Amino acid sequence: MADPTQTGSLQIRNVSKFFGQFRAVNDICLDIRNGEFLTLLGPSGSGKTTLLMMIAGFLDISKGEIALDGASISDVPAEKRNFGMVFQGYALFPHMTVRDNVGYALSVRKRPADEIRNRVDEMLELVQLQEFADRKPGQLSGGQQQRVALARALCFAPPVLLLDEPLGALDKKLRVEVQEQLKDIHRRVGTTFIYVTHDQEEALSMSDRIVIMRDGAIEQVGTPKELYERPINQFTASFLGKSNFIHQNGKVFALRPEKIDLMPGNENAEARMRGAIRNITYFGSMQRIIVDTDEGAEIEVDIDVWRNASDLAEGLRVDLLWKDSAAVELQTG
Amino acid sequence: MHDKQFKKEMLAESAQAFRAGRMDRRTFLALCGASGVAMNAVLAGDAQAAADHVVMWNWGGQSEECHGSAIGEAFTAKTGKGLKFDTSGPLEGKIKEMVDSGNVTADVADADLFNAVSLGPTGHLEPIDYSVVSKEKTLPGYALEYGVSIILYGYAFVYDTEAYGDNPPQNWADFFDTEKFPGTRALYKWANGSLEAALMADGVAGSDLYPLDMDRALNKIQSIKDDSLYWGSGSEVHSMVVNNEVSMAIIWQNRGRNIENDTDGQYKLVNNQAMAMPGAYIVPKGNPAGAAVMEFIATAQDIPAQLALLDCLGMTPSNPEAFGQIPEDQQPYAITSAMNIDKIVYNDPEWWGKNGGDAVNAFLEAIS
Amino acid sequence: MQALNRHIHPGWLIIAPLMLMVVALYLGPILNILWLSVTDPEPGFSNYAKLTEGDALIRIVWTTVRICIITTLFSVIFGYSIAYAMVHCHQRQKTYMLTLLLVSFWISILVRTFAWLMLLGRKGLVNVTLEDIGLIAEPVAFMRNELGVLIGMVHYMIPYAVLPLLVSMQSIDQRVMDASRNLGASGSQTFWRVYLPMTMPGLVASTLLVFILSLGFYVTPAVLGGGKVLMVAEYISVQLLVTLKWGTAAMLAAIMLIGVLVMLWIMSRFMKLSTVFGGAAR
Repeated sequence: MADPTQTGSLQIRNVSKFFGQFRAVNDICLDIRNGEFLTLLGPSGSGKTTLLMMIAGFLDISKGEIALDGASISDVPAEKRNFGMVFQGYALFPHMTVRDNVGYALSVRKRPADEIRNRVDEMLELVQLQEFADRKPGQLSGGQQQRVALARALCFAPPVLLLDEPLGALDKKLRVEVQEQLKDIHRRVGTTFIYVTHDQEEALSMSDRIVIMRDGAIEQVGTPKELYERPINQFTASFLGKSNFIHQNGKVFALRPEKIDLMPGNENAEARMRGAIRNITYFGSMQRIIVDTDEGAEIEVDIDVWRNASDLAEGLRVDLLWKDSAAVELQTG
Repeated sequence: MHDKQFKKEMLAESAQAFRAGRMDRRTFLALCGASGVAMNAVLAGDAQAAADHVVMWNWGGQSEECHGSAIGEAFTAKTGKGLKFDTSGPLEGKIKEMVDSGNVTADVADADLFNAVSLGPTGHLEPIDYSVVSKEKTLPGYALEYGVSIILYGYAFVYDTEAYGDNPPQNWADFFDTEKFPGTRALYKWANGSLEAALMADGVAGSDLYPLDMDRALNKIQSIKDDSLYWGSGSEVHSMVVNNEVSMAIIWQNRGRNIENDTDGQYKLVNNQAMAMPGAYIVPKGNPAGAAVMEFIATAQDIPAQLALLDCLGMTPSNPEAFGQIPEDQQPYAITSAMNIDKIVYNDPEWWGKNGGDAVNAFLEAIS
Repeated sequence: MQALNRHIHPGWLIIAPLMLMVVALYLGPILNILWLSVTDPEPGFSNYAKLTEGDALIRIVWTTVRICIITTLFSVIFGYSIAYAMVHCHQRQKTYMLTLLLVSFWISILVRTFAWLMLLGRKGLVNVTLEDIGLIAEPVAFMRNELGVLIGMVHYMIPYAVLPLLVSMQSIDQRVMDASRNLGASGSQTFWRVYLPMTMPGLVASTLLVFILSLGFYVTPAVLGGGKVLMVAEYISVQLLVTLKWGTAAMLAAIMLIGVLVMLWIMSRFMKLSTVFGGAAR
């Protein structure tokens, strides 16, 4: 179904967006590969949604260029870009049935009726909403609406699918479920997904690659594992997962709490730091322990509960240990 | 229009509050002042109008002032009773409604004589007491059981001297002749006067008008329909004329002077074949002041009152004794002055009282 | 009492006196009108029979309906454009526009009517200007005819048309329009297939409001129509106040009432009226 001349790779070249004096997006370069699941992750105001809207064509590009498979699309209006999009809040057409919503893109392209019907059936099957075809969006649950939005955006087989915080309105339990479905659908349709979120767990669990953004610029790009294991600066390290920051010899290291081992007493020769437990918080599968070190720092340690759970108590003196590879040196300044 | 209604209601309510002692005098006076109304005028609107005054129901504006100075002062001097006003306009439907509702608040309505014919027999009016009111102080035939004509007004016409300077229209035949006198006409929308003018234009003598031949009159009216506009109020025809929208207009003759002034003489009044309309005082059944109102009506018939109404409102006396005393400068605009009295025709209130409703409807249907 | 509570929510009992008052004050006069139309001047349907005697009444009703339809059409089209502009312009301009709109509610209808005469009358500003620059030899008859009535009425009705549309348009999520464009629809496709259907409740509310208000109009038609454009409302007032044919007046009022109810009923066949009157769209 996909147009073979469009493979769905995007090139973003020195793209900026100014709103008056304010630079919402500042000189971004990014290559998005065909068929990958790429997540733009950042706090609100980081420019991720602005960048997505420029890709979709809803916002003009102030400077730079966006290209699809090498050909610039900067001047192509939104309705001619053929990118699917799942909006925040879904933006379904409330006056149309699910079937008409999903078939809209084909219907405005004046495709024959039976082609539309078949394709819509195919899409409804993909999102498992066959029996809801004749309902109006108002009669569906949030999760079902989200799937209609997805089916509608995929129905015309776009080379690129843009998703703007599509799970924001769902409750946590449902969100995890839908994440898996999304990932599955991505595998099956093979379309390039560009996914905007501020939720790091969503980003980690679904993405092939994550782009971490701050203040309109890219902080770091990489696979979830790369970003988690090798953050290049304090922002990335703290935005994606939790991290302790250790200052030694004018250098700064990021140290994930679960990579620290903790031994009661003060006799361990390999101890990197020593201190006393200030606080223990129990999370079921693990417990989070805050240690005040003798150097005056505060270190968080995540310990699996099955290990020495009973002998830890607040005020207990402990040694902290970790492997060399666990501490990642960060860029500073 | 609503503003006025609101003000009136607010004041009527506060008048009651004031009487009942719920509002102090100063607040009440302030409210009256804010609304630009004299306190006694407000108190008059109350249903409990005592017999120390009579309430006149008219259209307000200038006629409120003029009735006060022309009749009210003499009436007070003679009887010690005051005169107050309800200015909401005594249309036939409103009189009927007031009497039917049993809440009669007016003593005398400044209306048309034909209203006396239509509302009298249905029990909505008090008969006129001709032991107090004089049948001789009005024109013959205009002193009826339920109403007496106090003044006359007339349906005459004005024409545009710039359009017809050398050969001006002189009568209703000319008014209806759009070939000889091209241009737009303005006629009265509620049929009155317009029907009679049409018949005279069609050759009916002024003395043979009644009963009106409706078909003939409406045919004549429709013959110039494409060149006609129809007005419903004095201010409307005034604006049609001064804005030069029409070349000739049937108007109330007492407006003639204003129009001649406002157009610097471009429009001129023609009184030939003007129709005299008897304006009358009628008394709603069960009026609060009772028989005292007859004294008021009699006062209005006196020559000084008659001449003062002419001077103030331009309404012509209906008391024949006053005709000779019409001042020189008022003569062209007074329908019964020596200058005009031989040229005019007289409205028949009996015919209008009995057939007016159907005539108005037939007229409206013909012009719309 | 317990048995009663099971069927009627106790909340209704609290508002029952008010409800009864509203019903009495509202339905009472309406029933009185219907009653009058079959009893005055004598019992029977003689008033309704008048509709078939001669074409005059039918013509007045038809004139009224025709003028109201045209007025509604133009008011709603202009109102739609204005509401659209208000929703999509900057907040500052929107405030200005809303102020102008609301101010126009407070200008007396007579003032507005005479203002049109000054502007578009025979010796009005427009005609004089056109004559002066030589575009026309004779004044154009804008006023004192049906055109004049329509101009005056449309002008008066536009603010009423705008308000329901404004509410309806403001509640629309702009992302829905973006979604339509994103799916490949052109501007006009988006308008006809998404925007218009989504503003339909507002459009219907606005149409009903303007049409029903227009039916009761008579100051503007009386003045701007030069007396020749007779609408039902004016005719009713003449029958009430001048000719005292209250039965005829009541009959015409009843016809108008029934006409409006029939119109609402027909519309309810095509759409849920509750959405028009602010209910939930489901």
